[in-house]
Amino acid sequence: MNVTTTSFSTNFLANISQLEARQSTLQNEATTGLKVQEPEDDPAVMNQVLNLQTEASADTQYQSNITQLTDSATTASDALNSLQTIVEDASEIATEAGGVDSSTQLSTYATQVGQLIQEAVQLGNTKDANGNYIFGGTNTGNPPFTAATDASGNVTSVTYNGNTSVAKSEIAPGLTVSAQSVGENNTGAGASGVFADSRTGADIFNDLISLQQNLTSGNTSAISTTNTPALSKDEDNVVTQISANGVLQSTLEAAGTTTTQQTTALDTQMSNDTNADLAQTLTLLDQTQTAYQATLQSGVMVASLSLLDFLQ
Amino acid sequence: MDLGSRALAVQQQEMEISGQNVSNVSNTSYAEEQLNIQESTPLETPIGEEGTGVQATSITEVRDALLDNQIQAEGSVTSSLTAQQTNLQNAEAYLDEQISSTSSSTTPDSANGLAADLSNLFGSFESLSTDPSDLSLRQTAVQSAQEIATQFNQVSSQLSGVRNDINTSIQNDVTGANQDLATIASLNQQIVAAQASGGTANSLVDQREATLEDLAGKVNISTSAQSNGAVDVSIGGVTMISGITNSDSLKTYDAGNGQLLIQAQNAGTPLSLSGGSIEGEITARDGALASLQSGVNTLATQLITNVNSIYFTGYDLNGNTGQDLFTGTGASDIGVNSAVVSDPTQFQASGTAGAAGDNTTVLALAQLANQNISGLNNQTFSENYAQTVSDLGNSISTVNDQLNSSHAVSQMLTSQRASESGVSIDTEMTNLIQYQKAYEAAAELITTLNQMMQTVVTMKSS
Repeated sequence: MNVTTTSFSTNFLANISQLEARQSTLQNEATTGLKVQEPEDDPAVMNQVLNLQTEASADTQYQSNITQLTDSATTASDALNSLQTIVEDASEIATEAGGVDSSTQLSTYATQVGQLIQEAVQLGNTKDANGNYIFGGTNTGNPPFTAATDASGNVTSVTYNGNTSVAKSEIAPGLTVSAQSVGENNTGAGASGVFADSRTGADIFNDLISLQQNLTSGNTSAISTTNTPALSKDEDNVVTQISANGVLQSTLEAAGTTTTQQTTALDTQMSNDTNADLAQTLTLLDQTQTAYQATLQSGVMVASLSLLDFLQ
Repeated sequence: MDLGSRALAVQQQEMEISGQNVSNVSNTSYAEEQLNIQESTPLETPIGEEGTGVQATSITEVRDALLDNQIQAEGSVTSSLTAQQTNLQNAEAYLDEQISSTSSSTTPDSANGLAADLSNLFGSFESLSTDPSDLSLRQTAVQSAQEIATQFNQVSSQLSGVRNDINTSIQNDVTGANQDLATIASLNQQIVAAQASGGTANSLVDQREATLEDLAGKVNISTSAQSNGAVDVSIGGVTMISGITNSDSLKTYDAGNGQLLIQAQNAGTPLSLSGGSIEGEITARDGALASLQSGVNTLATQLITNVNSIYFTGYDLNGNTGQDLFTGTGASDIGVNSAVVSDPTQFQASGTAGAAGDNTTVLALAQLANQNISGLNNQTFSENYAQTVSDLGNSISTVNDQLNSSHAVSQMLTSQRASESGVSIDTEMTNLIQYQKAYEAAAELITTLNQMMQTVVTMKSS
């Protein structure tokens, strides 16, 4: 091929610009550590990364849901344990009252039971950290239980204002759980009631009120025949609730662990997809730089020479 | 004497041509010129033919018409691809879906585009589902909805901007192409005139070749050289220049909704182009950009209808129902119901009136994230958007590859032409020395003849 002055310079410039472009790409890879940045760099990887990011962001959300639900579940667990103590105390009083004749003693017991009822109403109106009532089903904005009292301040009846449904939240794709509890459910269907449930026969408030009334009136036989077995059903119901709460907490914990593992796996996958192999990039960059230098040097050497230098 | 002076004249002309060649060494559209010389007509003498020296016959340039045509054609391809690349990369930038690594971690992250906004929207619904009555969570959900709506509006208007820019470029290129056509016709006229009077018009031919290449960059042309020196040009089968007449020119027309296409001004026929920046602009606009715009728009439309159809049945904290969350019908006009923006208690999260803790509606909204939407080819919102983004990436990456190989071909052709028609300073210098020596020798011949004449004259007078 005939090499003219123009062909030399066009080829030289083309080679240089090619090497410059390659150098700039590698340099960019080395500084950012990424081999894919724009969708055009690798459309398939971009597609995958966008989907992985969506998953990762959903996982972060699930993790935050789990934290939130765990908080509510812990609040519920504390309330349930206190409720268990109340029912146990009442059972004990009922058992002891069976062998007592002294009306003074019985009226002391009655006062104690009165206090237990007050405490139970308070527990029924427990709020979680966000100010939501936890025993009102999905009616979380209003106190679930209102107590009616007689002239002497004794609670005569407790009304449930909540409903019988619970709101479920997602803790994994398609997996929903609820940290809300229903205070009373006498419909025979749906979430079980903590204080009263027609299916287990539990009815804490009415049983406590009946116990207090029997203690006041000294009707010890009714206490042992009616109140003691009823309270035992109440206690069983609370224990069932506590263990259900335990299951909920361990489900949340397991889901949390899975989500964390999954987030790590997603991060690794995204990094593998997009991170540049630095050793390889730097080696290539080094090679390109050498070629660039050689091109420049040889170009300058050849271009500066001409027949003119040797003509006198 | 005459022989000597003719030799002097020819050598001088040779040197002038060399000078012209050296002066144009960096002019890429210049083709090396040559002085064609031959022996002048000999004298018949009784003892045989006697030479009368040298004469110049013509100045020609070293041009390969085939190579020129190939360079024009490849120029059309390169410009078309460059136009596509530039415009699609603009669109890509506006989508704002880059992967960047944050300094704190090696995990890639892209937090600006619609992908992140979609995740945030469904994330805020998830959050709200854990505590549906919480005002700050309601506020966040409304904000996320506003953010994605704004982002849709922005992307939509930016992509329309790219489309408008393309149409402006098409207009400008058409104007430029018409100017080139006029220039070529007028150059044709001058070349024909020069050649008719027996001369050559090398510099005009160089200019015309440069203009033809500029025109080929805008639109693919086919040329045919005429014997009188003119070059006929036709575009898309319609003759634009015939001899010295600029018989037709290009014109844009609106095929509907601002879709500018090209037709021949006088012939009135729509032209289907296969190269040049105009074709590249049209391809980018009606191909990848159009599908990107419709992808984003469909996503917005589906988001509006799917979210609203669930949201509509929900109840707000005041027990009211029957409002929409999103207003509008597509990416350009999507917005958030102003009532819920000013009062987040009106966010219809609950499935039952009067149950603040009920999250049926907002949970269903959150679960939309993982649902395959029939209007989106049974993909989820995020999957569909990722597909749209990677489709654009694919288009650009294909153009990039094609452009690389087209550059390589152009480069090869240009270097071939440079090798054939280009000027080599070394060759010219060597020639110059040759001409100089020949000139000296011819001058010496005249001096010698002169001295001989002197001798004869002196002889007679003495």
